[in-house]
Amino acid sequence: MSAPVTTPADGLGRGRLADRVAIVTGAASGLGEAIARRFAAEGATVVVADLDGDGAARVGKDLDAISLEGDITRTADVQRMVDVAAGEGPLKALVLSPAIERRASLVDCTDDDWQRALDVNLKGPFLCMKAAIPVMCTGGGGSVIALGSTLGLIVAPEYAAYCASKGALNNLCKQAAIEHAADGVRVNVIAPSATDTGLFMKMTEQAPDPAALRAQIGANMPMKRLGRASEVCDAAVFLASDESSYISGAVLPIDGGLAARRQ
Amino acid sequence: MQNRESLTGKLLRGKVALITGAASGQGRAAAQLFAEHGATIVVADINDVGGKQTVGLVEEAGQSALAVHADVSRRADVDAMIATTVEAYGRLDVLYNNAAVQMSGRLVDCTEDDWDLTIATNLSAIFWACRAAIPHMLAGDGGSIINTSSVLGLIGSEGYVAYGAAKAGLVALTRQIAVEYGPAVRANIIAPGSIDTPRFRKVLDQFGGDAERFVEGLKTTIPLKRLGAAEDVAGIALFLASDLSAYTSGAVIPADGGLAALR
Repeated sequence: MSAPVTTPADGLGRGRLADRVAIVTGAASGLGEAIARRFAAEGATVVVADLDGDGAARVGKDLDAISLEGDITRTADVQRMVDVAAGEGPLKALVLSPAIERRASLVDCTDDDWQRALDVNLKGPFLCMKAAIPVMCTGGGGSVIALGSTLGLIVAPEYAAYCASKGALNNLCKQAAIEHAADGVRVNVIAPSATDTGLFMKMTEQAPDPAALRAQIGANMPMKRLGRASEVCDAAVFLASDESSYISGAVLPIDGGLAARRQ
Repeated sequence: MQNRESLTGKLLRGKVALITGAASGQGRAAAQLFAEHGATIVVADINDVGGKQTVGLVEEAGQSALAVHADVSRRADVDAMIATTVEAYGRLDVLYNNAAVQMSGRLVDCTEDDWDLTIATNLSAIFWACRAAIPHMLAGDGGSIINTSSVLGLIGSEGYVAYGAAKAGLVALTRQIAVEYGPAVRANIIAPGSIDTPRFRKVLDQFGGDAERFVEGLKTTIPLKRLGAAEDVAGIALFLASDLSAYTSGAVIPADGGLAALR
């Protein structure tokens, strides 16, 4: 897979996240990597975290940023990540991007696939927020941005574990938003649909003709195209910056209008 | 829809219904009502004494019943509960996942153990049960799955971080089943609000303070000005179990005295 398009469009990259420390989890690849690169371009001090330590080191080196190998489903790893970030300055942003998506009919979904989806897509965000939010509270506030999915709002066949985990994630983030609204900590979800970077590309790679499948899926979107990583990054910067200071508990679809078709 | 006869008189004649958490409260009320409508009942619960009492009540209504010990947070128990039902009665038409654990706790206070138990009992358990039950429904005359979510699974709240996330995940899981396994299997959700059951009273006691005064205050916020009764929820479950709801799948029906309309 080619490297994500991460260069800010003209007029961006003006340091909208200057003087802020941001943890980006899942930052070694896909949308997490794209967001880490954009946050750095906007002036943030990024802590690049990923289960893939080599990948994190590669991105960290590019960005002249700290990189960490860690598993968000392990409390000790998560705590170390938050401690390292807090040592860099005021922790103002936490991006939760790791996700697992395995396609299986519900009756064929294995115990391992189910548990792994709930652990990575739901428990990981829980543990990360539990560790990071108190630090943000002490520092006068911050912004948590979770990468959800269109499939947290609508459902599709053969995505039982993924839909359940992403639906639960929306509610988890709304609760965190309410519980910490008075502390200046905002919690929001970005819900992308099929995007030109990350999980969707990995999933469609297995098709006989990936390009044709992607074109077909894109043509079915109201906007007649796939989403772009840069558009997810735009939303993440917005939610991490003061431009979204009165927004919390929101689930923001970045889906070309797809979710509007459903309830 | 099958025929006119299935819409009048006894609504569940000849059906086999498995109800979890049927030793008390909403599960027991549903067991009695389903039995009065001609269903054979499998009573699954962690509470063997209460389970046997429910079996007695079903038998008083003239129907056959079987008590199965099940801790639904354990996959082996869930699989055994489905297998026992099919061994005993040769079919499974209605699966009513009513059992749940309700632990309160804010994000920063929720322990990993509380998180794991809540997710296992209120979300994974239902996945396991549906995964085991659906093949039997597909092999038989189809089936109706009824899952108990909560008002807290539909809205953001505070103080129920794991519970709310699990119940929201369950909404997504249920809709996913509806999409994937129609037309043979219908899957719907009941989202109870404050229902006056032994569990509700237990939670109330844990909070301490003047319970009656709290209840009186709560009633004023509910459009129908009263707490729900277990029988209120059982009525909705009967509708969803029977052919009365033959064209309803993936629906969320609140049992909350109109509270959802306020949110």
